[in-house]
Amino acid sequence: MNDRNPAVITTVPAAAVIEEIRDEIEDVRTYYFRFEDPELERTFAVRSGQFVMCTVFGSGEFAVSLPWSPEADRRHLSVRSVGKVTGALAGLVVGDKIGIRGPFGNGFPFEDIKGKSIIYVAGGIGLIPLRSSIVHVLRHRAEFGRLILLYGARAPKDLMYRETIEGWRGTAGFETYVTIDRPEPGWTGETGFVHTLIEKAKVPVENTVAFVCGPPIMFNAVIQELSGRGLRDDCIISTLERHMKCGLGKCQHCAIGRTLVCTDGPVYTYKQIKTLGEQI
Amino acid sequence: MYILPKSDLPMLLRTLADRYELFGPIVDPVSGETLFDRAASPEDLRLDAPIPVNTPKFTVFPHLERILSFRYDRDSKDLDIVRDDLVRPKALVGVRSCDLNGLLCFDRFFLGQEYVDEVYRDHRRKMLIVTNTCVRPFVQCFCVCTDSGPYAAEGYDVNLTDLGSAYLFETGSEKGAALAVELGLAAAGPADAAARDAAVNHSIGLFDGQAVENKAWISRAVNRLTTGFVKPETWEYIGRQCFECGACSFVCPSCSCFNIEDVATQAGPTDRLRTWDSCSFEGYARMAGEHNPRRPVEDRRNKRFFCKLSYSQSKKYLRPGCVGCGRCARVCPGDIGLPNVVTAIRRETTGSKP
Repeated sequence: MNDRNPAVITTVPAAAVIEEIRDEIEDVRTYYFRFEDPELERTFAVRSGQFVMCTVFGSGEFAVSLPWSPEADRRHLSVRSVGKVTGALAGLVVGDKIGIRGPFGNGFPFEDIKGKSIIYVAGGIGLIPLRSSIVHVLRHRAEFGRLILLYGARAPKDLMYRETIEGWRGTAGFETYVTIDRPEPGWTGETGFVHTLIEKAKVPVENTVAFVCGPPIMFNAVIQELSGRGLRDDCIISTLERHMKCGLGKCQHCAIGRTLVCTDGPVYTYKQIKTLGEQI
Repeated sequence: MYILPKSDLPMLLRTLADRYELFGPIVDPVSGETLFDRAASPEDLRLDAPIPVNTPKFTVFPHLERILSFRYDRDSKDLDIVRDDLVRPKALVGVRSCDLNGLLCFDRFFLGQEYVDEVYRDHRRKMLIVTNTCVRPFVQCFCVCTDSGPYAAEGYDVNLTDLGSAYLFETGSEKGAALAVELGLAAAGPADAAARDAAVNHSIGLFDGQAVENKAWISRAVNRLTTGFVKPETWEYIGRQCFECGACSFVCPSCSCFNIEDVATQAGPTDRLRTWDSCSFEGYARMAGEHNPRRPVEDRRNKRFFCKLSYSQSKKYLRPGCVGCGRCARVCPGDIGLPNVVTAIRRETTGSKP
C-alpha cells in the first residue's frame, strides 16, 4: 500500500534499553525504549500501521503492533501479558534490554484517504495499533474531513490510554465516544457495545473510511453495522494479527488465504479480507 | 560438455571431498533403502541407486539449526548477540532433477522475494551441486507431469548423464567449468549429446510401464484450484483423510515452512533455533490467547495444496510447487499424497466419487 521502508532490521535483533514502564490496564503495560546504538536511535523509522518483532532475551520473540506515531511520540510498545514471552516481558524492569527487529508490514494508506472523513472503531486493546494512526491524522488535521473515534471496552478498568483519550476529547474537530459494555457504579458515560455508537455518532458514509480493530466478535458486529449503513467494503480498513515467527515472508505461519500478513499486511481492507477465506 | 570415464568418478568425488563436506545417495546395507546423506567416504556414494527416501533439502535448510545465540545477564545488563558462522561448504552429488527443482523453488522463495533469508543464502553460497540424470523412473515418480525431470535443464554446477561406460559431464556454472578443466576431462562431441538425448527419451518412454503408481494431471488441478472450483466436499474428503502427521511436508523437496524457538541452555546462552514445521499441524496458526483463525482440518489441508498447485504460487516459483518426486504419496497414511489429491480434484468434473 505504501512505499517500503529501506532500513529494516531483518535477522539479528537490535538491542534496546527500556527507559520507562507504565501500567495501562490489567495485564497491559507500555514500555518506552531507546536503541543502544546511537546511530540506529537517530535513524530507525517506522510508518504508522507497521509492527516489530520484540525479543525477550532468554524467553523468545513476539510480534507487536506499534502504538507510537513516528512523528510525535517517544518510541514505545504496549503489550498484554498473555503468554510465555509477553509474560517474561512483564517481569522486566527499567534498564533491562530487549531486542527489536523490523519494522515490518505495509502500514496505513494515508495517501489514499486524504480529504476523507475517518471513523476509528476500536475494541479493548484494538486501540493500540489505531493509536499511531490517530496521532498522525491529528497532526495533519486539515487534510481530512470529520474525525470520529468510537471506543469500547468491557469496563472502565479496561480502557486503554485514558489520559491520551482525555487529551483527544479536548481536541477541536475530533469527536470521541467511549462506551463500556454494561453499566457500572461511578461510570457516567455511554454503555453498550461499541457498534451501538455508530448510530449515536451519526457516522457519515459518503467519502468516508473506517479503521476497525478489536476482537473478532466486535469486528463482525461493527462490520455488519457499517456495511448496513452503506459503507463500501474497500473503505473499511483493519490491521490483522497472526502468529508470526520471521516477519520476512518466509516461515509462513501468518499465511492467510494467499497472502502473508507480515509482508502483504498487516493492514487490509475488508474487501480483501473477505476474499481470503479465513476467520479474522 | 565433457566426458568423464566411469573409472574416473572416484577422482571427481575425492577432489570434491577435499574441499567440501560430501553428500549424496547412500544405500543402507541393512534395509537396502537409499538415503541422501553425508558420505563418510567418497566410495559410499552410489549414483546408480534408486531415488533416496529423503530429500536433500536438509543441506540448505537443516531440520534444526541455530541461527542466533544470546547471552544476557540481567544483573549487569551485559548483552551479547552472537551470529556465528556454522555453515560449512557442501558438495551435493547425485542430486536428481526433481530434487534440484525443489532447491530452485527454495532459491526463488528464500532469495528472490522482498527479503533475502540470510541463513539460507550462507548455505547456498558455499554449495556445489552435481546432478544425475534419471535414466529410469521408479514406481512413485511423476516428474514428467510437473516439468521437473528426468533431465535437469538449469541450476546445477555439473550434470552427469550415464552413457554406459562413461558419464556425459555438462557444466552449468563457472565452478563446474573450472572443475572440468582441473580434472583434465576430454571434450564431448555431438554424438555424446545425441546419446544423452536418447537416454533421456528412453527414460521418459519408461514412465508408462515403470512409474505406475502416480499420474498427476497438474495443469487441470491448477486451473480448478485457482478459479475456486474445488467443491467444499472435496476439501472435506481430503481433510478427513489427513492424520496431521506432517510427513508429507517433511519429505517434500519444496516445503519450507519453519518455526523459530528460543531455547535457554544450561550453560547460560539462549539459542534461537529454526526447525521444520508443517502447515497441516493443528496449532500452526494458533496465537497467544488461544485464538486459532484456521480451525477446521480442511482449511489446513487446502493450504498445503494451494501452496503446491495454485496459479499464484506458480507465478512466484515460475513452476508448480510440486516437483513430482512422489515421496508424499509414499509416506501418507491417509492416502492423500499429491497425485491422489489431483485425481480427487479432477474427478469432480466427471462426478465420480473421490
